[in-house]
Amino acid sequence: MGLLHAGIANGLASAELVAAADTSDVLLNGFKENKPDLATYQDYEKMLNAESLDAVFIASPTHLHVPMAMECVARGLPFFVEKPLGISAQSARPLVDALGEKPVVNMVGYMGRQIDTFRKGKEIVASGALGKLQHLRASMYVAQLFKKGKGWRYDRSKSGGGVLRTQNSHLLDALHWYFGRIASVSGHVKSVYSGTVDDFTHAYFKFESGLTGFMDTSWSIRHYRVPSMSVDVQGECGTLTVTDDEVKMFLDEPRGEYLAGWSRWRKPELYRPVEVDVGGPQYTLHDADFLKSVAAKQPSECNVTSAYHVEQAIDAIYESSDSGGREVVISR
Amino acid sequence: MALENIDNIVLGHNSFFGVNHLSQEQGERTAAKFEQAGPILDMIRFSMERGVRGMMMSTHPRAAMVAEAVRADGRMLDQLNLYPLLPYIAKYVRQSNEKGVVNVIMDQVKGAGIGQTLGLFARGGMAMLRKDVFQILKTLIQMELMPFRGLRMRAVFLHDVLSDLALSLDMRSIFEFYVEEIRDKYEAEPAFATKNLPLMVRRLKDYGIERPLILSHFNQVGFNMNPSQEACERCLVEEDLQIMAMGTLASGYLKPDEAYKYLFGLAKMDSVVVGVSNPSHAEQTFAAIHTQSKSNSEPRQR
Repeated sequence: MGLLHAGIANGLASAELVAAADTSDVLLNGFKENKPDLATYQDYEKMLNAESLDAVFIASPTHLHVPMAMECVARGLPFFVEKPLGISAQSARPLVDALGEKPVVNMVGYMGRQIDTFRKGKEIVASGALGKLQHLRASMYVAQLFKKGKGWRYDRSKSGGGVLRTQNSHLLDALHWYFGRIASVSGHVKSVYSGTVDDFTHAYFKFESGLTGFMDTSWSIRHYRVPSMSVDVQGECGTLTVTDDEVKMFLDEPRGEYLAGWSRWRKPELYRPVEVDVGGPQYTLHDADFLKSVAAKQPSECNVTSAYHVEQAIDAIYESSDSGGREVVISR
Repeated sequence: MALENIDNIVLGHNSFFGVNHLSQEQGERTAAKFEQAGPILDMIRFSMERGVRGMMMSTHPRAAMVAEAVRADGRMLDQLNLYPLLPYIAKYVRQSNEKGVVNVIMDQVKGAGIGQTLGLFARGGMAMLRKDVFQILKTLIQMELMPFRGLRMRAVFLHDVLSDLALSLDMRSIFEFYVEEIRDKYEAEPAFATKNLPLMVRRLKDYGIERPLILSHFNQVGFNMNPSQEACERCLVEEDLQIMAMGTLASGYLKPDEAYKYLFGLAKMDSVVVGVSNPSHAEQTFAAIHTQSKSNSEPRQR
């Protein structure tokens, strides 16, 4: 992910990639040979001390997100940090507090908000066309893990958990973005392949808005070549299904700009071109949004505060699962 | 650098390998049908009988099986031109999610078992290799192209995930290396896939890579055309390049007739990648291409 953000930042006219820090000698050697004008470091603190930077992209293992972001806050330096925010809400709390005392522009890498279909879905939900929302069915699946995993992602002290925190945090961010704060959860998690962290998760939510529904997720579901998110919600006036490929809505009656019956929007017709595409337009759009906030010194929408709520929801699901599925209330 | 007699129709591999950028579900259904080499070969044969001689081939795990079957078929071996696209990126992306891209690459190289043949270990083994990014890339290319040894490789495309990363980082030496390696060692045309056509062509020109062969998206709705549909279209007029179009149906969003009408109405179009999953669909596709390319042949001869 570090390479991806480096590429995008370098490719956008509004930014210039001037320095990079990584512990991998292969990567640093690659940069030295191919981009000799780039300052490279093995120690990120040395980089922060030596370079005069306008913004930083943090794409480290999860347990380092908060400490690295704290270093940026201490220096008044705007930062973009990859998702999830941390290994727990508790571990991320000092960052939330530090930003409260000393605000700097920040963004968290929930680029799902820039996927065209999910933006269209947000627009529909926000329009109120569906009427009072009744029931939610959401899922996120990928065929990724079918044997014991290796590396930091399967070490809970570094990753903060399995599929739920690592990957499904994207879906949780989308649900929070669409439907507001989650009031309580009941959850069950299960480890099959990884042996150390959750590979399958199921949770039931009560949102503060009154909406209820469930989410099912796994990184060990066969046949899902790429991560696939799906949000299906029913309201008193109709239904809405949002996937990575399309948006489908059914309305009993016309509502605002939307027609009665089935409406369908497919990915190609929602496409927004980007200045430079490196691995998907959503990454460019998200990074550009961050850089725009930095230039304007304006807070971004997808920030540490919203990502903190995602961490709270994840912790609550784990806590609920540990107690056999008991309902856990998320504190404000 | 230019490829003489580039195939004007090139069969795409995506439908055979379950890649459908518009619908995962549809992709899975087609993948199930093409689980064995047989049905894939039937489609290739069917297409060859209708004059198609080109086939794009990702280095998907199933590609080795198809390559083996092509090798065993005299006519295909003699007449089918392969256009490999490397690497099979989903494999790397999935594993990179797990252990980081550098570790994935190093594991691949270590596991390849061809380190010795390259004489890497004689020169200091992995420690040495870690310092030499080009040696790593050489090894990866060799591994990826292994299944296609002895087949007619016309051009070898670098996948847009890699070429666009190198492009955005402005890594001139990566492009220079790739051009030299593919041309010298594999006697094929080095070529690049990209989702940033105008930027790619401009940079390659700066790097001294003239008249490149580029695989890029062209479709009526501008899907995957960056920084804009208009800029990509203009690039065909203003720049000297060979273009192979992909994504012409915008992942199935467009109907073949309207899609190819747009495509062959463009200032130039050297080649088009088409996905075929059954004979009637293939027949319809080839017919639409022939009709549209003919009816638009006048303005294209400039």
